[in-house]
Amino acid sequence: MLHIYYIFVALTIRTVLNKYTLLLIFIPFFIVFAHGQGNTTMPQVHLSGKIVDAFSNVPLAAASVSITGTPGQVLSDKNGLYALRAHPGAVRLHCQYIGYASVDTLITVSKEIQVNFSLSPTTQSLSQVNIVSTAAPHQEIATQNLTILQGNDLDRTRGLSLGDALKSITGVTTFQTGPSIAKPVIHGLTGARVLILNNGVTLQAQQWGQEHAPEIDPFIANQIEVIKGAAGIRYGSDAIAGVISVKPKPLPTDTGTMNGEANAVAMTNSRLGAFSAMLEGALGKKLAGFSYRLQGTFKRGGDVSTPNYLLGNTGLMETDFSAALQYYHKNYGIEGYYSDFDTKLGIEYDTDVGSLSDLEMRIAEGGPVTLYNFSYFIDRPYQQVNHSTAKVRSFYNFSDSSKLELQYAYQVNTRKEYEELSYSPSLNPALYLQIHTTTLELNWEHKDGSGFSGSAGLSGMNQGNVRMYEYLIPNFIDYDGAAYAIEKYTHKNWLFEAGARYDYRWLRAFAFDANAAKIDVTTTNYSGVSGTLGSTYNFSDNFKVTANYSATFRPPSINELYIDGEHASLAEFEIGDANLKTEHANDFSLTFNYTSSWLAINAEGYYNQINDFIFEEPTGTFYHAPGGELLEFQYTQANVYFRGLDLGITLKPVGGLEINSKSSLIYAWNETINNYLIYTPPLRLQNGVAYHFGKIGSFKDLVVGGEDIYVAKQKDVPAGYDFAPPPNAYNLINVHVGFKLLINKTDADFDIAANNLMNVAYKDYLDRFRYFADEPGRNIIFRLRVPFKILTNNNRSINN
Amino acid sequence: MIKLKHTVYVLLGTALFYASCSNKSEEAVQPNIANETITQATLKFTNQANSADTTSCTYTFHLDNNDNVTSVDSTTLVLKANSKYNGVVYMLDQTQTPVFVVSNEIKQRENYHLFFYQPTPIASAPVISNTSPYIPGTPVSASVPPLNLSIVRTDQDTNNPPLQIGLSMVFTTGAASTGKLRWVLRHQPNAKNGTYAPGSSDLDVNFITIIQ
Repeated sequence: MLHIYYIFVALTIRTVLNKYTLLLIFIPFFIVFAHGQGNTTMPQVHLSGKIVDAFSNVPLAAASVSITGTPGQVLSDKNGLYALRAHPGAVRLHCQYIGYASVDTLITVSKEIQVNFSLSPTTQSLSQVNIVSTAAPHQEIATQNLTILQGNDLDRTRGLSLGDALKSITGVTTFQTGPSIAKPVIHGLTGARVLILNNGVTLQAQQWGQEHAPEIDPFIANQIEVIKGAAGIRYGSDAIAGVISVKPKPLPTDTGTMNGEANAVAMTNSRLGAFSAMLEGALGKKLAGFSYRLQGTFKRGGDVSTPNYLLGNTGLMETDFSAALQYYHKNYGIEGYYSDFDTKLGIEYDTDVGSLSDLEMRIAEGGPVTLYNFSYFIDRPYQQVNHSTAKVRSFYNFSDSSKLELQYAYQVNTRKEYEELSYSPSLNPALYLQIHTTTLELNWEHKDGSGFSGSAGLSGMNQGNVRMYEYLIPNFIDYDGAAYAIEKYTHKNWLFEAGARYDYRWLRAFAFDANAAKIDVTTTNYSGVSGTLGSTYNFSDNFKVTANYSATFRPPSINELYIDGEHASLAEFEIGDANLKTEHANDFSLTFNYTSSWLAINAEGYYNQINDFIFEEPTGTFYHAPGGELLEFQYTQANVYFRGLDLGITLKPVGGLEINSKSSLIYAWNETINNYLIYTPPLRLQNGVAYHFGKIGSFKDLVVGGEDIYVAKQKDVPAGYDFAPPPNAYNLINVHVGFKLLINKTDADFDIAANNLMNVAYKDYLDRFRYFADEPGRNIIFRLRVPFKILTNNNRSINN
Repeated sequence: MIKLKHTVYVLLGTALFYASCSNKSEEAVQPNIANETITQATLKFTNQANSADTTSCTYTFHLDNNDNVTSVDSTTLVLKANSKYNGVVYMLDQTQTPVFVVSNEIKQRENYHLFFYQPTPIASAPVISNTSPYIPGTPVSASVPPLNLSIVRTDQDTNNPPLQIGLSMVFTTGAASTGKLRWVLRHQPNAKNGTYAPGSSDLDVNFITIIQ
């Protein structure tokens, strides 16, 4: 096969429900004759084209095209472009995309031609028995497990934080600090070991803190990709556990159009309201090629309730804004992007404990002593965080279908943490940290007809961090450089992949000497090679097996090296170790993927061996703060491993019925001290059932679903590392109803969900505030999404 | 033309890249300032029978440049047997210039603060109420001779109804004995009810106490 998006999943929808699928086929495809001569001596000719949404003309990424009667298919790239080869003569092309009516067309191929498809969203889309929504998209690392959260699944997470939105993915959970702060955890690891990309830019924030949630507005995304596994090879060392990529949809390219979308979310628990609006368009006439998008989100919530009491001071306020402008020409383009994220997060009252005896008292009480009334007011302690990103990206497509991309990004992250004050009249934060990061990345992608494809690139980063007020970590300057290459080869049923990367880090820290009156300047260098090796074998169109081995490393982060201070609210006093070495991960994974029209199974087993894993260990001594004793923890290194199984099964036995089962099982062991690892996620099972009714009266795409989430008690915990034993297992029931209603000639999406329907009082092991309070109780969430068109291509206003 | 354009972008990007690298602000290290620190906490006593008879005890926290406590020391409290003393609290943050008198600020925020005074060892569990300066959960030992000391707070805040504060108190000593005095300042914003439980501790120290 020619194409790098060589796909192994069958796309037959030869089922009873095919009739629905074909009901609303819209066939405005047209054939355009493109560049000249096909070579008659060649046995096959090139077929290519673009797949777009028939109404909005938005390119459809990962739509599939196949030639009926031949195995295999190709997927469109993010610009909706696809390419495949066909024997000359009459061929029947089949194009399909989840949520859209598929198109069959008979064409006669004699020379290179371009066939464009316009697909219409089918109003019956949800009743399609089409499991191929999980078909592989463009993957930077083809043999690593990639999960995409998109479409209805993503829509049902609107209003949640990024971490919470990803909890529906097997192997992914969150590490929380109360209800408002959630960090994603992949295969048991979090923090700097999980890399987050915001529209292609690696998020560079104060990622080391456990109570530092990712500074990303999930409303910008129409796709969230999660790579589970050591993906450092492409995205930079540090990504020992995985990568989360938040992707906005591509900017529109159909000239003279302007579209918008409004989202509103309301929640009963915390009385949260979230509003997000987006406006995008492509300019026409002389400005053809320019397109733009403006997007903004406002979110405000008050105190969160557990089944038995309110959590004081757990409100939040968030204001986000992003703007993109792109110029796109036939084979080159340039894009500018700016986003600003601003949040104020209340930290639960009574969690700012000053000593071990306070913490022990809180644990004994199990919940707040003081009862609070609901309020939107955010008092001390709170966090005020701002993250802004500016990016310029340009690309050039060469005639041999290779592509060169250059990306420059500048990010500033400002974090202010305000502690609870007892007697000081100070208005200052306890902690002020500002990190600014410049990155420059050059990436070259190529593919040729012989089965080889790949990418190679260079990246550079400069980072500086400035602190004020209390000391926690020092100021630092960091220079990073890296070079990488990944190559794939597809042949018949095989795909082989290999890649290598070299990283270099130069880190200089500036801190007051703790004892002498001078500034300590410490410079360290880290370098290392990462590699990946993988293969996929397609037993049939439905079944494939993928194996991957990745070796990556992560240099110690600034806090692991130099932290020296109290950890607010955990009665911990943390000490860094300036002599820490880099940690090395060797990650093996084996994935089985079976997809048919009624059954999809994705099973991944992994074994991640991390040598010199950096973690905190209690020293057994106490730190005497004025408020009492704190337990002292020091960063240290040990050899550990994580092994686990992620299993996802989707079953569509009859009609609109869909049954989902997701299991995540993980086991972690510290080989050096022969003990368990703290904060390993316990067994998590999610079983759901949904019924797609299709159209009932004026309700379209009516779907009713429910799921049960079971989280086991973590029994594998090291003794002496925690202040309280792990909480008991819990079982939650969530239900939802979704439908579309016609509002002003547009289908508006409605969704009503009830999370924790039974109002169960529970504690989660991976919540640092489990010592202080229960998790949130029942929450009924209303979601509304209204897309609207302002201008169509003939510049005629159709709205109002 | 296109290539030229790209060259310009590359140069522009590189220029910005280097421009941002020349930032020197990281080298200008800001001093460490903590909003709240207690470096010295003192109890001062005057014998009710003789105003010239005064005594005190002081707890000192020694800080490093990161404002972390490197060591502590405390003086012994020596009281006369079978006497009554008026006591007052005096607390300082000496990291600030001028020296910040923490106890004055606590007086201003009296509705959020409550002091506790717990002699140990004790022979029987203390009476716990919203006017008791004793700490619930203090271990009781019948075999060890107790420290013969009882404490009553003598000041009130402006809560409605008023609650005690503990910036001033009366210490009553019994027969000669030795032990410890645990002194705790609870910070209880919007939660003060006279009891120990709400809020968190700002100060939690022990003095060796000798009644002779």
